[in-house]
Amino acid sequence: MTPQALKHSILQLALQGRLVEQRPEEGTAKALYRQIREEKRRLIREGKLKKEKPLPEITEEETPFEIPEGWIWARFGEMSQLLDGKKMQGASHPYLDAKYLRGKSDAAFVTSGKFVSTGTRVILVDGENSGEVFYVPKDGYMGSTFKVLYNSSSMFEPYVLYFLFYHRRDYRNNKKGSAIPHLNKSLFFNMPVPIPPLAEQQRICAKIEELLPYIGRYEQAWNRMEDFHQKFPADMRKSLLQWAIQGKLTEQRPEEGTAEELYRQIQEEKQRLIQERKLKKERPLPEVTEEEKPFEIPESWIWCRLGTVLHKLTDGTHATPKYTARGVPFLSVKDMSSGKLNYSNCKYISEQDHQELSARCNPEYGDLLLTKIGTTGIPVIVDTNQPFSLFVSVALLKFNQDLILNKYLQILINSPLVQVQAAKNTRGVGNKNWVMRDIANTVIVLPPLAEQKRIVSKLEELLPLCGQLK
Amino acid sequence: MSNLTGFVKRLRDIMRNDAGINGDAQRIEQIAWLLFLKVYDTKERDWELDGEEYQSVIPEACRWGSWAAEAPSGAAMTGDKLLNFVNNTLFPTLKTLPVDASSPVRNAIVQATFADANNYMKDGVLLRQVINVIDGLNLDDYEESHAFGEIYESILKELQSAGSSGEFYTPRAVTDFMARMIRPRIGEHMADFACGTGGFLTSWMKELQKQVQSTADARKYGESVFGIEKKQFPYMLCVTNLLLHDLDVPRVYHENALLRDVLDYTEDDRFDVILMNPPYGGSEKADVKNHFPADLASSETADLFLSVIMYRLAKNGRAAVILPDGFLFGTDNAKLNIKRKLLGEFNLHTVIRMPGSVFSPYTSITTNILFFDRTGPTWETWFYRLDMPEGYKHFSKTKPMKLEHFTPAMEWWNDRRELSVDGFDKARRFTARQLAEDLKYNLDQCGYPHEEEEILAPLDLIRRYEEERSSLNAEIDRVLAEITAILEGGAS
Repeated sequence: MTPQALKHSILQLALQGRLVEQRPEEGTAKALYRQIREEKRRLIREGKLKKEKPLPEITEEETPFEIPEGWIWARFGEMSQLLDGKKMQGASHPYLDAKYLRGKSDAAFVTSGKFVSTGTRVILVDGENSGEVFYVPKDGYMGSTFKVLYNSSSMFEPYVLYFLFYHRRDYRNNKKGSAIPHLNKSLFFNMPVPIPPLAEQQRICAKIEELLPYIGRYEQAWNRMEDFHQKFPADMRKSLLQWAIQGKLTEQRPEEGTAEELYRQIQEEKQRLIQERKLKKERPLPEVTEEEKPFEIPESWIWCRLGTVLHKLTDGTHATPKYTARGVPFLSVKDMSSGKLNYSNCKYISEQDHQELSARCNPEYGDLLLTKIGTTGIPVIVDTNQPFSLFVSVALLKFNQDLILNKYLQILINSPLVQVQAAKNTRGVGNKNWVMRDIANTVIVLPPLAEQKRIVSKLEELLPLCGQLK
Repeated sequence: MSNLTGFVKRLRDIMRNDAGINGDAQRIEQIAWLLFLKVYDTKERDWELDGEEYQSVIPEACRWGSWAAEAPSGAAMTGDKLLNFVNNTLFPTLKTLPVDASSPVRNAIVQATFADANNYMKDGVLLRQVINVIDGLNLDDYEESHAFGEIYESILKELQSAGSSGEFYTPRAVTDFMARMIRPRIGEHMADFACGTGGFLTSWMKELQKQVQSTADARKYGESVFGIEKKQFPYMLCVTNLLLHDLDVPRVYHENALLRDVLDYTEDDRFDVILMNPPYGGSEKADVKNHFPADLASSETADLFLSVIMYRLAKNGRAAVILPDGFLFGTDNAKLNIKRKLLGEFNLHTVIRMPGSVFSPYTSITTNILFFDRTGPTWETWFYRLDMPEGYKHFSKTKPMKLEHFTPAMEWWNDRRELSVDGFDKARRFTARQLAEDLKYNLDQCGYPHEEEEILAPLDLIRRYEEERSSLNAEIDRVLAEITAILEGGAS
């Protein structure tokens, strides 16, 4: 049950006469009703209230529930009215608009308008929150979207306010007008009010006040629960990813070899390809230091830097090409921020431009893309044979897919180990940037190939379950 | 003195080649029972020299000297013959030794130790090599025995990274700190009801040793420790550990401390000092709760142990207990009642908060040391947050926690003042009334400001989530009950 629902059900009990007991010695509402009508007639005579059309009798169908014997139904307009406040000028007072009354802005002082004094109740009659009641904290000029709420002095005002609060949503959901919605006055004034004897109104309000702190506590606990539920699936996912790359999700099997051997294989192949001029020689990267290793890993694994296990690390074109209506897709971060390639809103370039760009950056099936500007650190596997080119905001990672699984690299990059490094190294003003050198230097862990496979399949089992946690 | 250097490495190298050993935990188990028998054998020879007719509870053929020690003729059992002997004679015999409740402890521990032990090795030749390395220890020699005690500790420390076996090992920096701050005195009796590998017992003894001046003192020193351990593997490690510390009669029992009705405990069951790191998230059958009063019956084993401690601490006794954050902030009904009892009947004077990686890699959960005594109800509680030492981002196998990292806490202990760092409380005192009424028994104070988000292990995360959820649900239920009471009763 939401805190709002809890409060609502308590108010409902109040209005039904079931919150406190009835006491015959307090009289009935009949006498009170007569008082209300007499007071209204008097004030109309004195010009303080407007004379209005009488409101129709309340029919059986209109009463939403049973009320106790001594109570009476009446329409809201019989005991309350909306007034304008006195037009005044000269003295400087704050302008009482909704923002100020909510405490969200400082007072702006003006010298004329509709004056209302401290303690007046005003109600919004225009805008989204029509029907909401505010308390005037100091003398001021009423905002244009407000009216003064006049309640008969024969009624206990707090009781009337709780009644209005109870119907808040009804007023909001039934506004009139389209351009600027406003309070549905017909609904407002015709709303049936259950009236208890005055003394009982006071006892009801006292009881509600007694319960308010408990509702507050309930709301706090409830909100914390919601918070928790919100964060838990994402926290669980992070926890599982980190667990996996610490080598704790899978058992280590000596027959699968060591990552040291795998790493050597990778380096030997790279050397060979450099000799054959198929790869560019790279600047060597520094060893991973102890401080850079945030946790223990199994003996058969190694720490290393991302750049050292890749054949090629490059980014998309730095110059914005000429876009065409049709042609070869030209992708940037926004086309892959979900983790998968999305062509629905992408740009296009000519076949010729694409050929030129491919000379430097040629994404192929199985390669890994990595966002590096704006929302950085999102790894995306190229799962298509359709050609496309990249903008500078995305990096291209090419590697021997028989030695390193692209799905493993994706898990690795999505894990807190790499995400923390990406966040730390994404710098700049405006659209932040994760530069190529920092990407290459990213500290990673490498398991033997067979274990990479086992990690991938274990997580493919577990991660969807996290999705179900929501 | 034989060559102790490389002792562990030699064993590891030999066992690496045996197909039966899968992982660190099994390797340590294998070494454990062999070491136990070797240590026990050394002890037996001492007892034989004591004059009285000593009868070993172990049949002659199974005693270490008969099958393990290097035979003078050089023809010690090896290969399949050895394997056959170990699997089909040694183990069955030791598992079924005739012992009962009246047997002296030093006889009973052999059967208790072997009850669930296993021989994992499958290669008799390699097994012979391992036995030879162990037999090479000269534990009669005081120096060597003492040095070996350290090596034994290092073997135990490996448990921390050996998967779930990590739950049996509390880092010695922590047990030493707690033993020091509890200030042992000759003549006192201390207990650990989930003693694991015996860390608190040995830290207590190390601290108490400094006060031994006479033989009478030495006798009281030897009788001062008491332990209970439910699981067979750490039980064996603990007994061996105490034998190595020269305790002839280690009063450690292979039992489950949660299976006795707490209301049945009498003065005789109470101790002057209790030091513990109770297991949490432990698996116990649901009916274990029957041994506790209904309001204290929790599903969390750590909570149950705290209740056991409260019922077994002697008047004016002192206790120091490690509990997870979940206990501090948890407000489900059982925890609330336990905390109410703790603050109401005991003096919880200090809570030391420890950083997350103290128990890593076994767990990354943040833990705390609660110090309390039975001198009366709590008046006020001091909270102190121990920060990571300079130059450490977290503790690890290569950079473990050391006793000296507790120095700031020890200095603060005797000169307590409120401290604050970067706007966050580091040390602060709260009155019992504040804790009960304002904070509603949420003892999660002076916590760690979250600069770098701690990633919990999946099981720890699930546990934390369940604790929070049950605390919040309990709070919601409580508020609804109070609202209902107002609605029904007080209609005025």
